[in-house]
Amino acid sequence: MSVDDNAHAPVGHAPVVKPRADATVEEDGRFVLRVRLPLPDSARPRLLLQLRPKKGQSEETGRVVALESAGPDEWRAVLETAPALAEGRWDAYVLGAPGEERTPLLPGLRDLRTLVSGGGDGRSAPLAVRIPYATKDGRLAVRTWLRASHAEAGRIVFSGRSMTVRARLFGPRLGEGAAALLYRRGRETAVQTPLRAEGDQAFTFTVDYPDLLAEPGPNGAGAAAIWDVYVRPAAGAPRIRVARLLDDVADRKAVFVYPAATLGGVTARPYYTVDNDLSVEVAPTATR
Amino acid sequence: MHGMKISFLIHNAYGIGGTITTTFNLARALADRHDVEIISALRHRERPNLNLDPRVRLRPLVDLRHEKDDPRHLAPAKVFPSAEYRYRQYSALTDERIGGALATLDADVVVGTRPGLNVHLALQAPADTVRVGQEHLTLNNHPPRLRNALRRVYPRLDAITPVTEADAASYRRKMRLPGVRVQALPNSVPAPTLPPADGAERVVIAAGRLVPVKRFDLLIEAFAAVAAERPDWQLRIYGKGEEHERLRALIDRLGLYNNVFLMGAAIPMEAEWVKASIGAATSNFEPFGMTIVEAMRCGLPVVSTDCEYGPGEIIAPGEDGRLVPVGDRDALAGALLDLVRDDELRRRMGRSALENSRRFAPAPVVAQAERLFEELLAARRDGRPAAHATDHALVSGGHAAKDTALVAASSVLRTVRKARG
Repeated sequence: MSVDDNAHAPVGHAPVVKPRADATVEEDGRFVLRVRLPLPDSARPRLLLQLRPKKGQSEETGRVVALESAGPDEWRAVLETAPALAEGRWDAYVLGAPGEERTPLLPGLRDLRTLVSGGGDGRSAPLAVRIPYATKDGRLAVRTWLRASHAEAGRIVFSGRSMTVRARLFGPRLGEGAAALLYRRGRETAVQTPLRAEGDQAFTFTVDYPDLLAEPGPNGAGAAAIWDVYVRPAAGAPRIRVARLLDDVADRKAVFVYPAATLGGVTARPYYTVDNDLSVEVAPTATR
Repeated sequence: MHGMKISFLIHNAYGIGGTITTTFNLARALADRHDVEIISALRHRERPNLNLDPRVRLRPLVDLRHEKDDPRHLAPAKVFPSAEYRYRQYSALTDERIGGALATLDADVVVGTRPGLNVHLALQAPADTVRVGQEHLTLNNHPPRLRNALRRVYPRLDAITPVTEADAASYRRKMRLPGVRVQALPNSVPAPTLPPADGAERVVIAAGRLVPVKRFDLLIEAFAAVAAERPDWQLRIYGKGEEHERLRALIDRLGLYNNVFLMGAAIPMEAEWVKASIGAATSNFEPFGMTIVEAMRCGLPVVSTDCEYGPGEIIAPGEDGRLVPVGDRDALAGALLDLVRDDELRRRMGRSALENSRRFAPAPVVAQAERLFEELLAARRDGRPAAHATDHALVSGGHAAKDTALVAASSVLRTVRKARG
């Protein structure tokens, strides 16, 4: 593997085809973006972050931030932590480049070291997370989460027939009747398992896989079932999705991979969804 | 200093890889004072994957997008040596185009970047052009048949530049190259843009193609000891390749799924290195060790196996990293743990790594290259040999005989297999 350094050649060394932006998440959570763009100082370009609309919906108004001159052909925008961005994927554009309505930004260096061990110390609810990333088609975007309350998953350990998840709560306090709830996707039914408090809002819970097998499949055997993992901090309190959001990994699914357990022709395996939420897949064991 | 006209001849400038990166870096640095072009034997896409400095001209010779079915491209190459690794990608058409490009070359210096292309230079470059053959692999690892093919024509080069002193020593010992200068020229790594790592993150990073020679399995096994003692530490392995599933299974078997992560490929790696506080390299064999230099330039101490050839020439053990015996899992685990346990040691070694790796910056490396090219050019203009003849003909003659015997043995074997087959 080698460093593609030329992609980050100093200004003036490489022709700017499409503007490329370096992004830094600072210690205090501020988001700083630097764009190489050959424009006169009078150009007043702006950074546009546009929330990608859900299927079938149209774009809403994006977030616009001024790009300030930071040297010859260099522009800088600072996105403060407040107001928080809504949860989703925000595509980054430059407004004001001549001849174009909006120009997509290419991803440059993303300095996310402040996020790596962001285990959540000092964070409070509502929890806002922003991770700049490169989209599959090679554009710069920002992945955001905004959760009024949050359960951050940590280590997961396994026995042959169960998984035990360590997690930490942001927002409500743990109280009487706290439980983990696994909801079968597409159904109303849930499987419940108690939380064990470990102090400082940390807790663990164990999911016995056989409990997830007791539910009959929608079409009998053969189809996979997905169980989404939630916690209820106290009896009667609203449920909170268990997710892993507090580091630099925008797309966790292919990176945080856990072993599968096989129980009588069925395979159970926890995984992170495309939104970094924790779920368990129960599927007929693939025969080879 | 007079500007020189310098041409590089490369396999395919449109791909991804260490040779391409380092050639682009060298070309860009030379372009400050010289007229530089890169001739790409092959082309398969519109633009290079890596950005090339606009001052450097790029000249493709065979465009696979239109010419891969050309009858001349379906006929085997005669100039490009058949023992070369990439022989199947060369053809009568590449012979013709490379030969034509060299015959009409208007350059002071032409630089080949792989053995087969060096053969083209040796045979076909104009008489007054200085011919420099780079060696990005290693002599010892070449098949005997390739070594013999190179022996026949490399005496017509002005210089051979391996990437390590160790490989340069092999060339001097095993090849009879009277009048050919053999000089190590390391790969260069430009200064990172980002501030260096500060030694605080509890992350170890390794990077490379996921192939057996890189021994990421050994690294994962060694990391089990780190995770057992310090469960808050992670190992991140960047890259992709055929070993992915096997490494995934090893992580599961060792129960390391909370500590060891296969991250996929990341280009550039710079923003990833700075998230770590230790770099790791565990190959069985490494012609140079580009990732070691990259990690050090980002301020990381590197724990590496002391394999042939690069790591021992990059790392100063105990000062900016550690070297452990090849394949020694326990020694690797011990060296990692020494750095994991001692924050101050890690920070101190990281600072040394940053300092010591400056010798691999483009400026000092390009200065060596410039000086070499100028001396070679002056020697050629004066009609002097590029290097004093050395009297080791008997020794290298012995190596040549040995390779010839090896080639004969393997062709007998092939014949026997064919007869049985």
